[in-house]
Amino acid sequence: MMFRLLRRVALLLVLCVSPLRAQFILLPMDDAQTNHLKAYGITFAALADGVRSEWLINYRGGSFLLPDLPGLRRSASLAGVSFEALDGATISDIRRTIADGNMDAVPLEKAPRIAVYAPPQSMPWDDAVTLALTYAGIPYTNIWDDVVLGTDLTQFDWIHLHHEDFTGQQHKLYLGFRDAPWYIQARERDLAMARRNGIQDIPTLKKTVADRLRGFVERGGFLFAMCGATETIELAIAAMGVDIAGAQTDGTAMDPDADSKMNWNRTFAIQSARLEQGGGVNAMSDIDGHQVNVPSRRQPLGTFTLFGFSAKFDPVATMLVQNHRAVLRDYYGVTTSFTRRTLKPSVTVLAHEEGAPWVKYIHGTYGQGSFTFLGGHDPEDPQHAIGAPPTDLALHPNSPGYRLILNNVLFPAAKKKPLKT
Amino acid sequence: MKQRATLVGLLLAFASALTAQENSGTLVSRAIDHENAGRHAEAIATWRQAIAAGAVLPGVLGLERTYAMIGDEAALLPLLDSLVPRFPAEAQLRGVQLRTLVVAGRDAQARAAFAAWRDLRPLDVAPYRDFARVLLYNNRMATADSVLAEAIATLGSSRALLLESAQLRAATGKWREAAEAWRETMRDQAYFESAAVFSLQPAPLEVRDMIRQELSVADAPIGAAQALSFLELGWGAPRAGWRVLAELSKSDTTVAVWGAFAEEAERAQAWTAERDALVAMHGVRRDRAIAERGALAALRANDPETALTLARAARRPGETIARPEVLAAELEALARLGRGADAERALAVSGVSESVARGHARTIAWAWVRSGDVAKARAALANAPLDAEDAVAGWLALFEGELTVARRALRQGDAAAPQAVAALALLSRTSAQKSETVGRAFLQLVRADSVAAAATFERAATELSDAAPLLLAMAARVETSRGADARAVSLWTRVATDFASAPEAAEARLEWGRALRRRGDRRGAREQFEHLILTYPGSALVPQARRELDALPAGRAESSL
Repeated sequence: MMFRLLRRVALLLVLCVSPLRAQFILLPMDDAQTNHLKAYGITFAALADGVRSEWLINYRGGSFLLPDLPGLRRSASLAGVSFEALDGATISDIRRTIADGNMDAVPLEKAPRIAVYAPPQSMPWDDAVTLALTYAGIPYTNIWDDVVLGTDLTQFDWIHLHHEDFTGQQHKLYLGFRDAPWYIQARERDLAMARRNGIQDIPTLKKTVADRLRGFVERGGFLFAMCGATETIELAIAAMGVDIAGAQTDGTAMDPDADSKMNWNRTFAIQSARLEQGGGVNAMSDIDGHQVNVPSRRQPLGTFTLFGFSAKFDPVATMLVQNHRAVLRDYYGVTTSFTRRTLKPSVTVLAHEEGAPWVKYIHGTYGQGSFTFLGGHDPEDPQHAIGAPPTDLALHPNSPGYRLILNNVLFPAAKKKPLKT
Repeated sequence: MKQRATLVGLLLAFASALTAQENSGTLVSRAIDHENAGRHAEAIATWRQAIAAGAVLPGVLGLERTYAMIGDEAALLPLLDSLVPRFPAEAQLRGVQLRTLVVAGRDAQARAAFAAWRDLRPLDVAPYRDFARVLLYNNRMATADSVLAEAIATLGSSRALLLESAQLRAATGKWREAAEAWRETMRDQAYFESAAVFSLQPAPLEVRDMIRQELSVADAPIGAAQALSFLELGWGAPRAGWRVLAELSKSDTTVAVWGAFAEEAERAQAWTAERDALVAMHGVRRDRAIAERGALAALRANDPETALTLARAARRPGETIARPEVLAAELEALARLGRGADAERALAVSGVSESVARGHARTIAWAWVRSGDVAKARAALANAPLDAEDAVAGWLALFEGELTVARRALRQGDAAAPQAVAALALLSRTSAQKSETVGRAFLQLVRADSVAAAATFERAATELSDAAPLLLAMAARVETSRGADARAVSLWTRVATDFASAPEAAEARLEWGRALRRRGDRRGAREQFEHLILTYPGSALVPQARRELDALPAGRAESSL
């Protein structure tokens, strides 16, 4: 009897002094978060380890709800990610709040398999997505033309494109860098790749790659593109069989009737764009509203505003705009924005500049897959120049611009829910 | 007809001016006297008389000043209404009219006056420029913009309006365009560099690269480089400011620009930039005054080597008695370099009197202290005893293990040494009054005997138990700095494991991890960094540990297909 009593007292004492573990931890994504970017990495790592999570969209900046596991607490502490331990009652309160407001809890099921389309040789500019993934600790696979042309892309859920020029003109960098060793090397690399694949020139090689990527999306993949890749993949897809490259690239002049021969039915988001006919003008078309490399046309940077969507009826768009800021500082890229005139009506605009004839961030479905285009090169380096050092994200752990990229990384992990009617 | 009337008016005014020349001169002098003495009513009356006597322009300008003083600018308008039709092509009168109308808030009349002048001289830039300037100075940016746009459209070039364009672009936040306009303005008028700096200084951080780019294009005028260097100073980047000027080809103009930069850098207390500019100037000019200024700047920049070179260059050839400022700079440089013997020699040959030499005794002693020669330092002070709380006395006490004396003196600390922070940290940590071992360790340190110093600090840790982790950490720092990683790791391990709650424990984990990383033991390094972050989450070293973790190859390996 005495022994039993002692055992109960001992158990009570143990319960009193041992730290009580909560049921869940919340990674808040509002201003309470000390490292927004690494919070995505923690959530991604949990998914990769088979731990199911929830994305509480529109709740405190798009917070993540994870089971309270010692390993997760440890990872969050090591990464400097703020978390809050939640007991059952608090969880219930949060769920009630979510049910009553324009919010939703989206289950995240499985870490997407990510590929980044990037050249094997490093170029004198950074790639915002690679920077974000590396900083957040999210693993990815580098792919290049040979992989796109020669392997089954369905091994990936998500492919990212950044600065590539799919018209094969290397963004007309011959205008200023034709003698730069990296430019010559990149050109020789692409020519060798074309020949290995039995293709005669770089524009044809890149158009073929663009079409393979189009097929990847059509069959259910997620494509995220930034900067010049957005505009040029559209031009390349629309220009199958049309010479839109200048003589400097393939030895033949651009087809003077190219504009009328473009087939916009196959593109993702763009229609009726007009090609830049001047070989000496550093622009591809009138898709980009800012035209940063054409001094007489260059538009100043402003700010862009993220749209709010219905979390319960439009969860994908809502996921893509989760942020702790609604208005973001704009930043240049070879393609900074997308003129409204050239957008297909089916495209969802995720962010725009108030009063401007261009938008910044768009999304849409294509076949069984979807695509997202984000204009600009580096959200934390508005003027990014060739040769500038890469952005050190440890100095921008709360970057709202980089959050947009990571929203795209995580949203393919979301379990598809039937729409509420 | 109009032209003939103007001509007749001017001739009449000229004739009247001739007859009343003496009279108008006297009236102008008297009006200026009234103005200077603040007798506004008298000044107004006299200026009006001067105008009547033929001194039209000085009179109108005088009235403009005086009415502005009493805040009644509009009172000038009736007079201008009568004068401008008489001298319609007189630009200064037109300028006064525009200024007065804009200041008085009569925008419609100002616009009409501008239009009348513009129509009179359709190919002249003056109406546009004057009106745009008046609008700019009165913060009417939108109207100024439209006037400039109209000028460019009408005249076909904006070259004559670059200055106004630059001011307008900066005021409206078009920084790149403003920088470009200022650059072009300074191509012909280099003296606008101060105005350019004033205008571009408020540019926010994110657009400054654009400004840098515009002001440093290949064929930018020297005024643009000067403006950029001043801007960098103002933006808190003095070394970048100097880099803009350093590569300019050597000429009289360049030396003048370097001189202006040095003065500005001195005002901004940017000592290294000031030193660099003065060194470059001295390289071209070999001027003793520049050398002397350079030596002082180098001392302020804590660069005794350069200070010594320049102080010696500042001596006059064959001078028998060294100039006090130059001698003081040379001795101070030698002291900081720990060259006691050279300092004594320099003082001996300086030719200064014994009493002046005694005034340098402390500097000589400091030179010996910096080389760790206590006896010679004491000898230097034999005839010039120091105050008990002098830092030199404090260092001597520390070397002799008199911790109480050292604690009191070094807290005043005006003689900074590289080891000063460590010494102060130790003295505030331990309550011990004496420790010959600690004194010896610091002495070995200043004598650059780092092997012995580390061993002695480690031994001192067993004597002063209240400062043991700090002394071990000091030994470990010395070992780390000389690259003895194995010894350092052993010491850091002791601090981290035996003194886990000591203030040095987090540093020990960080340095332990770094040493392991250097050795190629990434896993071990990761453990130490993670331990630091999780065990000492409030430590100021946590961000550094996170940096180290980020720099280690990722646990999840990237792959490449």
